[in-house]
This record gives sequence, structure tokens and C-alpha cells, in this order.
Amino acid sequence: MKLRILIADDHELVRRGLIALLQTHEGWEICGEASDGREAVEKAKQLKPDVVILDVGMPNLNGLAATRQLSRQDPHCKIIVLTITDTDQVVQEALDAGARGFVLKSDAARDLVSAVEALQRNRMFLTPRVNDLVLAGFLDRGHRPTQGNPPDLPKLTPREGEVIQLLAEGKSSKEVASLLNLSTKTAETHRSNIMRKLGFHSIRDLVVYAVKNNIIQVQLPAHGSNVTEPVA
Amino acid sequence: MTIRILIVDDHPVVRHGLKTLLEGRTEWEVIDEAEDGLQAVDKAGLLRPDIVVLDVGMPKMNGLEACRIIRQTVPECEILFVTQHDSPQMMREALSAGARGYVVKSNAARDLLAAVEAVSQHRPFTALNGHSTANSS
Repeated sequence: MKLRILIADDHELVRRGLIALLQTHEGWEICGEASDGREAVEKAKQLKPDVVILDVGMPNLNGLAATRQLSRQDPHCKIIVLTITDTDQVVQEALDAGARGFVLKSDAARDLVSAVEALQRNRMFLTPRVNDLVLAGFLDRGHRPTQGNPPDLPKLTPREGEVIQLLAEGKSSKEVASLLNLSTKTAETHRSNIMRKLGFHSIRDLVVYAVKNNIIQVQLPAHGSNVTEPVA
Repeated sequence: MTIRILIVDDHPVVRHGLKTLLEGRTEWEVIDEAEDGLQAVDKAGLLRPDIVVLDVGMPKMNGLEACRIIRQTVPECEILFVTQHDSPQMMREALSAGARGYVVKSNAARDLLAAVEAVSQHRPFTALNGHSTANSS
């Protein structure tokens, strides 16, 4: 039986590249694509993939929040997180959320096939730096990084985490309500609770928080003479 | 006549994606790939492609600098930028550097083929989010 893979990235160009990398592998099948975390969770529910490959920086629901939902929805589904950075915080959140593979986008052409193969054999796949971090956590605390909420979201519910992302992306309470199938009043209540719990007084505070905690990713302004550009 | 294309991007996954999109057209041939601006300049001089599909932000030499050099050394070669930067300012810089086309990566699947089509006929094609222009001038 073929290994069924769902790919989620907000850039179709990257999805095409990932599909081109994976589809020639014998015994693997790309069963679906999604362009944001919410669509990935929905499609995973319908398609029951064996492996989901998730970009971290996606609109509507980011890859880490989607990983949490997917892990709850189907504990047997194996998740590989694709990211442009392997900072301690992203690593810890990804592993806590239930990811079992961690691949840098810049290394995806080299590592992604190995990562899927590892998960297929019920093993984890981590970058060398992430391996070191996990080992350091094990040695420091006698166990791997702790389960539970990410360190900087101690008081927020998963739903509030979703609302933060949508508000930080510039969506109104009405749009949040529509995307999450809530009443506008409930969305506004979530918004008030978030502002109160985190001690924020403006949406600006919330956006800064969302950027600092990798809930959303922003593109830096372009400067012609010395441009650097993250992968899509 | 076959249109010969050089793909330049520092991320292999993006190069794979671009190649997959471009190879859907039988009359277009991806003749080679480069992973930075320096390599792009070398390969363009050697292979003299009809079109270079060029990223902006790359190590060693960025795409704008590479574009200027390629336009001088291989003037018949057209440059099409495919970049993350959805910015009028960056688009102006790209066109000033000698590019004929500019497409944003997030819309590449939608715009790339039309852009290559236009640029291969030496027509400009520019597309930022929500606004695209192709004309025959």
C-alpha cells in the first residue's frame, strides 16, 4: 500500500517543487495539497494521509497551530514541519505540537526524502542543530522538551492562539468570526480576553507579539543594494 | 523555435517548482540552473540563454547586480525576475537594472507562463499582487 502524503504551503511554486521532489519516489503518493493550515487540517480529516508536510509560515492558521490540531485529530498522522529557521523556540513549539520531522526549507531538496523515509520507519528526522537541542534538553532536564503550551503562550487557549494570528494578519472581528465559524460577538470576546490576558492596549502590541512569537511571519522591506530573501 | 531558459534561485525547492512549471511547455527548454548571482552571470555568458528567470535575494551576488551584468554581456538575453518582493520600489529597481519582466513568487504559478511568453517576444510583463501588466510595446 502506498504512503499517502499531504503537502501544505501557501506558495504554489513551492508546492510544485515539493511534489516534484517526492512524486517520483516509488511507493509514495501525493494525496492532496493545501494552501494554509486550516485547509491542511480539513483535508487531513477527509484524506487521512500517512504524512503531512507543513510549512510553518502560512496565513489563516500557521503550521505550528495546524500541527497541534492535526496531532489531536489523528495521533497516527506523522507530521514534518518545514521552516526557514531552526531557532530554539520554533523547534520546541514544533516538537511540543507533535511534529516528528523538522526540515529547513533551504535544505528541503536534500533532506525531505530522507525525512519522509525516516517517518515511514517510525523514526524522527531532525536537522543536526535540532538534534543537539533535543539532546541538550534531555541532558538538562532528564526528558525531552516538555509537553504543553508554548513557553510564550502560557495563558491562551488554542482558539485564542488562532484568533491572535487572524487579528495580527489584519482581519476584523467579523472576518475572524466567519473564518472560525463563530458569531461576531464570540470573536470579539476572544479578542477582549486576549488583550486582557496579555495586557495589551492596541492591535499594534498584538502584532508585535505575533511576530516575536512566530505566529505570523513578515517580509522585510526591500533594499536594492543588499537584498536578502527568505524562501517563499 | 525553442526558447532556452536559465533558472536562477538559491533555493533548490523553488528551482524544482519553476522547472516543473516551465517544462509544461514543449517549446521551452530549461537549459541549466544556477544558485547565486555569480553563477548566473557565468552560465549566462557561457550558454547564452534566451531568458534568465532570476531571483532577487541570493548569496554572493544579488539578482539586480547579476541582471545588470548579464544585460551588458549578453544583451540579447531577456531577464524575468521571480521574487518574494511584492513591492513597486523593487519592481522599478529591477526594470532599471534591465529586466523585461517581474513576477511575485506567491503568484508565480498564475503569472509565470504568461510572463515568459511575453518576455520571449521582448514584450514587458510586470505583475504585483492584484495588478498585472503585459503589453506589446
